[in-house]
Amino acid sequence: MIWRDLLSISTGNLWRLKLRSFLTISGVVIAIAAFVAMLSFGAGNQQLITEQFNELGLFTTMQVYPPRDKDKADSVREAVLDDDALEVLSRVPGVDLVYPFNSFKVTAGLEDTTLEIEAQALPAAALETRLFSQLKAGSFFSHDSAHQVMVTEDITDTLGLSADSIIGRQIILSVQAASIDSGLAYILKGERERMEGRLKEIRFDSLIHDAYRRRVFYGEMNEAFKYFLEGYMNHRNLISDTFTVCGVLEKMSRRRRIQIRPVIIPAFAARHFSVSGFGDNPADLFNALKNGTFFVPSGDSISRSYPQVTLNLNPHVPYETVSDSVEALGFRTFSFAAQFKEISRFFFYFDMFLGIIGLIALITASLGIVNTMVMSIIERKREIGLLKSLGADERDIRILFLFESGVIGALGATTGIIFGWLITRLASLVARTIMVRQGLDEMELFALPGWLVLTAFLFGLTVSLIAGFYPASRAARVDPVEALRNE
Amino acid sequence: MKTVDLCRYYRRGPSEVRAVDRVNIEIAKGEFLGLVGSSGSGKSTLLNLLAGLDSPTSGSIEVEGVSLTSFTRRELAAYRANKVGMIFQAFNLLPHRTARGNVELALYFNQTSPPERRRQAIEMLEQLGLGDRLDHHPADLSGGEQQRVAIARALVKNPEILFADEPTGNLDHDNSKQITDLLARLNRQGLTVIMVTHNRELARSYTNRLVRMHYGRVIEETTDPLIPGGDT
Repeated sequence: MIWRDLLSISTGNLWRLKLRSFLTISGVVIAIAAFVAMLSFGAGNQQLITEQFNELGLFTTMQVYPPRDKDKADSVREAVLDDDALEVLSRVPGVDLVYPFNSFKVTAGLEDTTLEIEAQALPAAALETRLFSQLKAGSFFSHDSAHQVMVTEDITDTLGLSADSIIGRQIILSVQAASIDSGLAYILKGERERMEGRLKEIRFDSLIHDAYRRRVFYGEMNEAFKYFLEGYMNHRNLISDTFTVCGVLEKMSRRRRIQIRPVIIPAFAARHFSVSGFGDNPADLFNALKNGTFFVPSGDSISRSYPQVTLNLNPHVPYETVSDSVEALGFRTFSFAAQFKEISRFFFYFDMFLGIIGLIALITASLGIVNTMVMSIIERKREIGLLKSLGADERDIRILFLFESGVIGALGATTGIIFGWLITRLASLVARTIMVRQGLDEMELFALPGWLVLTAFLFGLTVSLIAGFYPASRAARVDPVEALRNE
Repeated sequence: MKTVDLCRYYRRGPSEVRAVDRVNIEIAKGEFLGLVGSSGSGKSTLLNLLAGLDSPTSGSIEVEGVSLTSFTRRELAAYRANKVGMIFQAFNLLPHRTARGNVELALYFNQTSPPERRRQAIEMLEQLGLGDRLDHHPADLSGGEQQRVAIARALVKNPEILFADEPTGNLDHDNSKQITDLLARLNRQGLTVIMVTHNRELARSYTNRLVRMHYGRVIEETTDPLIPGGDT
């Protein structure tokens, strides 16, 4: 028998018993629709994350951090994320670009408006990476020492300006920077009055006693440090510079997961601010103390350290290779690609769980197929006998009945996929409506990739064929003499 | 075709039924053989064995010098598909298929292409006077027409032997005569026909030879159309 004959006989038989066929196929349809809808949710979320990662180039991005304190003792040498380290990292095979995360608070003055915002220093090359390339208007700054800045849409929205209208405008950025000089100057400034007072308080005849001498010494030290900190924190220098807004970056929505500061300054031009001292965040001061970079000659950036450095990787080099090389230098790494592996593993188990639920539904449906096929054999015993008398062998009969099960499975799976897709469209519509109402970005939570369609179809078909195997074998064993005997 | 000590036994409850018991017959090419006997005499069982539809318990069947008993199931199926045509008392037409569809069914198992199947089925039905009944379902045909469709189905694959199991058992006298006339005509054209029948008159009138069976055994073989005695 040729495929066409099998198809014609199978569909003919199913058509003759419309109600029974409909009910049997419905079982498969429900199971496959549930399977598709559930896995579509898993696939949709995975696709969403993959798209976002790809969109931002996160698969080719790696973050590097200084070692933790407890790791420092074990490392060969204490690794500091300073400019020397940047140079070393840039030479690691597979690293295309290295730039530090360098952000600080600025006061931005645009015409008559003043904003207290965060600024970030970035090399021009970094802006061309996907992470920052969502340009809304204008252009990227031309080079690292250009007196140009880029702003995000957060700024234009705050100022009530359109993206195009802010291009070319002057923006004055200023920082209050404390330095060791200002601290020392403050100590010296009040030293005479303070010394006079202190000399009256000290009992010189008691200095021969060790305990008294130590108390005076510590008291003096604490007093001097208090004055130093006061001068350091409260008598800072104001550093200002004027820039031209050259471009506007798209607003960083919540789903981008990447924090980009509202003002981006070319790396070299930003040094003017960042090497002049510390901002008003005490953490900067303590970090510098911790990292051993507190005493830095003014204007010298050689020993400046960064909390985080971003590496742009060559997409053809496995991230593990780069990660190993960087960690061998004593740094910690974080890779989105590694993170994605974990996410993929989670989705694998998630999909497995959903798939098992679908499988249970399909097994239930397959019992319907077995029942239908066994009933069919009982009713078509004479037909089977006749086909055997006409030259069909056991294999032909087995294939014929398996084909019928397959047709049930194929019809059920195809219809189930369509129904499953309709369910996901409806669920997606509801989810999007809720997202909009909640003020969230619209996201497509469901996806029907080719592999899911194929898997669902093969799943339905395979389970149906397995269900049809016993009835088909039973049909093949029908004795033609018995079947054709006159009743 | 010949049988040598052909036996077909089967169990029914605790007892053994000897449906065919040491049968030795020879059937010449172009012969019209009648198998007669009372109910349960084993004539239909013998027919099924000769048609390759049943397997003997012992003994052998030779067709053109080749033993059917040495055939695999697949070879037996091929034998039924290419060399054998069968008609039955109950016609065994599939009710959901048209006359043409039923006839075409016989060509599903011998690699005939669908257009060729269609052409041959139409031609065969027209030859048997059913040209205007091609698209009729069995329920729309008379008993005689149904049996002619069954004959068309048996003949369409151009078999060497036609096995007819009580072909007139469900027909009235006129239709029985028409069908037997048709079988005789086909036999005259060179087709070997082996017919099981209860109708002794019919068998006498048309067959070249009669084999009478009783309790699975051949008790009488004659080329004389007049069979003495008997209660067939």
